[in-house]
Amino acid sequence: MLKLACLATALALCLSAPVLAQDLTIAIKASVDAADPHQLYSPNRNVQLQVYEPLLYQDQYLKPQPWLATSWEAVEPKVWLIHLREGVKFANGQPFTADDVVFTYNRSKDPAQSIHSANLVNVLDVVKVDDLTVTLILERPQASLLVKTLERASGRAMTIVNSRAIESMGLEQYGLTPVGTGPFMVTDHQLGQSLTLERFPNYYDPERPMLDRVTIIPIPEPEPLAAAIETGDIHLIGGNAPAAELIDRFLSNPDLVVSEVTGPGFQAMFINPWREPFLVPDFNKPFEELVQENGFKVRLAIAKAFNREDFIQRALFGRGIPAFGTVNPAMGFFFDTAINETSEQRYDLEAARQLLADAGYPNGEGFPTLKLLTTPAGRREGEIIVNMYQENLGITLELDLKDFTVLTEDSNAMNYDLMRLGSGGDYDPDDALVDWMVTTSRFNGLTRDTSVMPFGFFSDARVDELSAQQATEVDLEARKALVQEANKITSDKVAAVFTHHPTDILVYRTEVNYPDVSRIPGLVDLDRVTIS
Amino acid sequence: MQRYIARRVLQAVIVIWAVGTLVFFMLRAVPGDPIQALLADVDPGSADAIRAKLGLDQPVHVQYLFWLRNTVQGDLGQSLYGSHVSVNRIILEAVPRTLSLATLAFVISFALGLAAGVVSAVKKYSLIDHILTFAAFIGISVPGFWLGIILILVFSVGLKWLPAIGYEPLSEGIWPWLSHLILPALAAGLPFSAAIARITRSAMLEVLQQEYIMVARSKGLKERKIILRHALRNALIPVVTVMGISLALLFSGAVVVENVFAIKGLGRVLIQGIINRDYPVVEGSILLVAVFLVFTNLAVDVVYTMIDPRIDYES
Repeated sequence: MLKLACLATALALCLSAPVLAQDLTIAIKASVDAADPHQLYSPNRNVQLQVYEPLLYQDQYLKPQPWLATSWEAVEPKVWLIHLREGVKFANGQPFTADDVVFTYNRSKDPAQSIHSANLVNVLDVVKVDDLTVTLILERPQASLLVKTLERASGRAMTIVNSRAIESMGLEQYGLTPVGTGPFMVTDHQLGQSLTLERFPNYYDPERPMLDRVTIIPIPEPEPLAAAIETGDIHLIGGNAPAAELIDRFLSNPDLVVSEVTGPGFQAMFINPWREPFLVPDFNKPFEELVQENGFKVRLAIAKAFNREDFIQRALFGRGIPAFGTVNPAMGFFFDTAINETSEQRYDLEAARQLLADAGYPNGEGFPTLKLLTTPAGRREGEIIVNMYQENLGITLELDLKDFTVLTEDSNAMNYDLMRLGSGGDYDPDDALVDWMVTTSRFNGLTRDTSVMPFGFFSDARVDELSAQQATEVDLEARKALVQEANKITSDKVAAVFTHHPTDILVYRTEVNYPDVSRIPGLVDLDRVTIS
Repeated sequence: MQRYIARRVLQAVIVIWAVGTLVFFMLRAVPGDPIQALLADVDPGSADAIRAKLGLDQPVHVQYLFWLRNTVQGDLGQSLYGSHVSVNRIILEAVPRTLSLATLAFVISFALGLAAGVVSAVKKYSLIDHILTFAAFIGISVPGFWLGIILILVFSVGLKWLPAIGYEPLSEGIWPWLSHLILPALAAGLPFSAAIARITRSAMLEVLQQEYIMVARSKGLKERKIILRHALRNALIPVVTVMGISLALLFSGAVVVENVFAIKGLGRVLIQGIINRDYPVVEGSILLVAVFLVFTNLAVDVVYTMIDPRIDYES
């Protein structure tokens, strides 16, 4: 009888036990200001991902998958038919229709209203066919259309916004408490301090999201960030990876999970080809011919003396992958796995010293003191590079620390000797080649004096040609060959000293269940996350 | 007194205008284009459209006149980096956080500093004086960010008594508000309490040697009454000066502590504005800090007259 009573009590307790609240607190390094996807870039991407949705998304293998668009077809190379999902609602109760896609396109195409207009330059028009179908009319065929234009990670241009909410709330309020079709909706925004998202009850997929509430807190300093996750004040660190020096500490903590995958980006040290001693006024020559020039010899010597393994170990505590080009391993299919063996800029210290001697600087003698432009945040990495070159080539570099705003100006005006810069969020070869390596790239000395410097940090006619071809090549194998050839040329001709591809690191507490399907490099998707 | 205050307020307006004007032109003189930074990895074609929309394509003197007119009307403009968020809103949301932190830190620095200074002076050259003097030197020397991190490691990570980061508004309840502020207020307030302790000790030692203190003692007044009513009150003038400066610095310069404890107060708003070259945010924040500094100084001068009736500004 007593046993029975105990069993009944235990059962009653189990049944009456409160369901654990699915409340998740995440921290990001950047400030949370506003989340209008057409107004702000990366800092608030993690907010946008939960509230808004694109037409497509890339899965953990970076392959396009249906989202607000259920299917798509190229009826002609320049005309795409997009079928939209039925039964989708915005958080304000309005249904999602083709009108919203057309409105989003018109807003995002307008440079006065959107910072993403360049991503839509090839889209001539978006036409409503019916409530759930639109036609995209392109100027020329575009291989990257699904990823770069319609997806949320790389381009974000077609992240669907709500016209009526923008009208009724005004731009300021819409940015602060945005209205999208996403799995969560903003319920509270303490500007700069915290943002609260709650489950959108009318989300089209009743299985998602699994969390009831998400609170996002910006924590800029590494040590408090570590303390916050160790104490359980926060459950997950999202956005930019935490400081590399903290990762081993997190790995040794049994309460934490550290998930590391290859990040979609590259880091590099750019060399100004318009300055001595690495003057190269024309890259349009075969490698064998270029390497006879003293300026290129110095350039190549600097590239070959860069010990990537050592740099990654010392500067990044082992968290990085040696880079030899802008095309990164997260792109998977397009990445050239042999480039570390074939690139002319692979590490070879003897060859680097010989090249420097041949250029007239044996053991670095007579080599001018050069400045390495970087941001204050890059000081530590910069000092490791300075020491490496002193040790390896006997040449002296000085750090030139400038705020990012000033560095950007100097970069655009080609006002540097050497410069540390890189990119994240590169999911398509267009991100790597068209955005960075072609003569007309927006990073290629945009505001330079063209009468003195006809091109910026690099220009090669063959790379331009290959980049243009791959951009319109719809056959995957053919596109891969074009991408890899262009990437190899930029590597061999030292468009920059490619240092590393970043590692994308997500840290969360063990009570957080973060499924593999949500582990998309560079993004924090919370719609399938739960708390045990 | 009223005429004095009116004159000081008039002077304050001129000072605030001068500060605002200086900041306006200095910001535009330093290198770094906010729009290029915003568009660093996006669309340079948008730059001109955005500049035109924000009026940054106008000559600087025209921009200044617009800024002056709007500022006089109470409109501090719009953040260049926050998608249409008004500076008024950014500042209005940040000020309660900074005020909460600064007030609590001020109370801590005032209470600890004054008590330690008085005890040190009264127990001159005793063991407790040496201990308090040593503690004060440590307090002055320790950087705020280091102290903040140590407090987090001890009280949050180790003892799990208090939250490590963040801020809860007072509307969420007194304890949530206070529990998030105790550690940052200690980190911000302890260095000031050390300074106040040293100033109080030295001022008290000087006063305790005055003849009227001996007279008070010879009259048989209780020591406690002599210390608190006669000595401390007369020693307060330099202490109030330091406290005024402390309060102003806590309001405007708690950025390091705000960073460590992830509190988006005025200091962080200002620093982030400077890094992003977000002109309206920097101008608005500095203007507010200038207003606070000027009026804190005025308040300190008024407090002098309350402490010491012999001070008369009119004559």
